[in-house]
Amino acid sequence: MDKMFVISMTDWQAVLGQFSASYSLFAPVEFNGSQDYELVDKENTGNIIYNHPKPATPVKTFFLPVKENVTVESGIEKPAIIMGVPSCDLAALDILDEMYLQRDYTDIYYKNRRENFILIGYDCRSIVENCHCTSYGLKPYPEKNCDLMLARDRHLVFLQSLSARGAELLKEMGKYADIIKASKDEASEINEKRSEITRLLKDKNKNLPGYELSGKLIKDSPDKIWKSYASTCVSCGACAAICPTCTCFLLIDRPDFEKIRQLDTCQYPGFEKVAAGEDPLGELFVRFRNRYQCKYVWKPLKFKSIACTGCGRCIDTCIGKISKNELLEELASEKNS
Amino acid sequence: MKETNIYKPLRAELIEVIEESPTIKSFVLVPEQEFSFATGQFIELTLNGTGEAPFTPSSSPLVKDRIEITIMKAGYVTEKIHNLKPGEIMGIRGPYGRGYPLDRLYGKEILIVGGGCGFAPLRSLLYNLEAEKDKVRKVTFCYGSKNPAECIYKPYIENLKTIDKFEVHRTVDVADETWAGEVGVATVLLDKVEVNIDDSVAVVCGPPIMMKFGVMKLLEMGYKDRQIYLSMEKNMSCGLGKCGHCMMGEYFVCKDGPVFSYDEIKDQPDIWK
Repeated sequence: MDKMFVISMTDWQAVLGQFSASYSLFAPVEFNGSQDYELVDKENTGNIIYNHPKPATPVKTFFLPVKENVTVESGIEKPAIIMGVPSCDLAALDILDEMYLQRDYTDIYYKNRRENFILIGYDCRSIVENCHCTSYGLKPYPEKNCDLMLARDRHLVFLQSLSARGAELLKEMGKYADIIKASKDEASEINEKRSEITRLLKDKNKNLPGYELSGKLIKDSPDKIWKSYASTCVSCGACAAICPTCTCFLLIDRPDFEKIRQLDTCQYPGFEKVAAGEDPLGELFVRFRNRYQCKYVWKPLKFKSIACTGCGRCIDTCIGKISKNELLEELASEKNS
Repeated sequence: MKETNIYKPLRAELIEVIEESPTIKSFVLVPEQEFSFATGQFIELTLNGTGEAPFTPSSSPLVKDRIEITIMKAGYVTEKIHNLKPGEIMGIRGPYGRGYPLDRLYGKEILIVGGGCGFAPLRSLLYNLEAEKDKVRKVTFCYGSKNPAECIYKPYIENLKTIDKFEVHRTVDVADETWAGEVGVATVLLDKVEVNIDDSVAVVCGPPIMMKFGVMKLLEMGYKDRQIYLSMEKNMSCGLGKCGHCMMGEYFVCKDGPVFSYDEIKDQPDIWK
C-alpha cells in the first residue's frame, strides 16, 4: 500500500479553492435529499458530501455523455477532476474500457476523457439500502481506476495516491497546504473502518448469490419469474440509464454526415427490431430479462470485467419498484428449495 | 498520429442505380478511396442526414474501385435510398464482421441456398468462388423468389449456368404465366440436388423464416450443424461490437458474425426473430 497522507480540513478547503480555478472540479453535492456530481467553485466547496454513497448518476456519464456528436473534432476540454467516485463506479470503468478502448475499435471521445480526467475515489463510510458491491468481489473503497483515494475523518482529510498522476496531484496540493504522512494509528483506523463497512455489506447481502452463481441461476430460470417481476416494468429504461456498466447506444444521423451517439437501452421497445419487422425483444418480459442475461450470462463470456458492480442504483430508481436483488435471491432460494 | 474516428463515414458517389425487381434495387458506389472487403462482410451505408443501415455488398470482393449494394425497400431509410439518383454522395463505414469462411468452402461441394434479397451477399460469394474456380469442386445454387418478377440478377443467373462446376436451380413461391419451372419455397429445390453431403458445406441466406426451414431441411438431409453457414440479419447499428443493437445471446452479430456456422448459434435465443 502506497503511503497515506493527511491534510487539515482548513488546508483542504484552500486546495479545493485553488483546484476549482485551475480545473473543472466536480464533486457530490446534496440535492433534494439525494446527491449528485456538481461543478464546484470556491464559494460552494463547503457543500461537498464526503464518503457517503453515492451520487445519483454513475461516473460513466462523464465519459459517455447521454448525447454527443461523435463526428466533430473533440475540443480540448479544461482538465477535470472528478471527486467522490465510489468503488462500484470505479470498478465499472473496467468494462467500459474494454468496450470503448479495446475490442479492435477505439472510441476517441471516450479515450480522450479517460486520459484527461483525474479521478478521486471515496472510501464508503456508510452503506445505503441497495449497496451490494462486496457480493461481486469488490471492496467499498477505491482499489483501482482512480488517481487518489480520499477519506475524511472529522477535521482531517486522508489521501493516498493510486497512480502516477495521483502522486503528481498530491505534489501540486503541497503548494497550497501542509501535507504530512499519516500516522500508523491513523492508517489502521482507516483500515478498521473499511473492514467494518465491508462486514456490514456482507451481512446485509448474505442471501444474495454471487456474480457467477447469479449467471447460472439466470441461465436456468423459467419464464415465470421474469413475467412476474416484469409485471410492473414500464420499459422506462431508467435502470440502464443509471447503470454504471450499461453502455448501449444509438447512432443518430445529422446533415453533413454527422452522427450523434446517444445512450440507448435494450429496455426500450424496438431496440433490436429490424426493418423487415422481426423483433427478438418484442415482448416486455423478454426485454426485462435481457438486461439480466446480458450482465450475468453473456457479457462474462466475452469480457474479462464484471458487468454489474453492485451499486444498486437500478433498484433505487425503478418506478415499478422492481428489485434486482430480490429477484436474484428468489432464484437462489428456489434452487435450494 | 491522428487516431481514426470509428464513427465517421467515408464518402462514396452513387454512379448507377439498377432496378433488380419491383422492390429491389442495386446501387453502384465509388468510394473516395480504395475500399476492400471480404465476401460476406457488411458495411454501414449512410444516407446523409437521414439514417444508416447495414448491408452486405453484392459485388465481387476482388473489385476495389467500386462497390455494389442491393437493397430491398423495407423501412424508412431503404425507402429513401430507393428514391436516390446517380450523383448523390453517400457514406460508407466498414467493412465489418466476419464474412464467409472461404477456406472451409474450398475443396468441398458447396450448396448455396438463397431466398429473395438474400441473393445479394450470396452473389458476392459466387463472384468470389467463380474467380477461384480452381479451388472449388462444385457449386450448387438454389434460389427462391416470391414470384418470377421478384427474381433478382437474372442476367447473372443466366451467365452462372454456363460456368463449369456451377449449377443453378430456381423456384418461385407463386408462379405466373411466364413461369414453367419449380413452384414452392427455396427448400423444395433441395430434394432435387445431388450432393455428397459428407463432403459438402451449405450456405444459407434469406429471410429468417426461410433460413429456419432451410436449416431444418439441411439437417434432415444429413448435414451436420457445423457444415451449415448462415448470414444473420440483426439490427447492426454501429458495426463495432459496441452499441448492443445486434446482440444475439453472447454474440455481437456485427463483430462475431454476421456469418456463423449453425453450431455456433443454435443455442442462442431467438435466432430466427
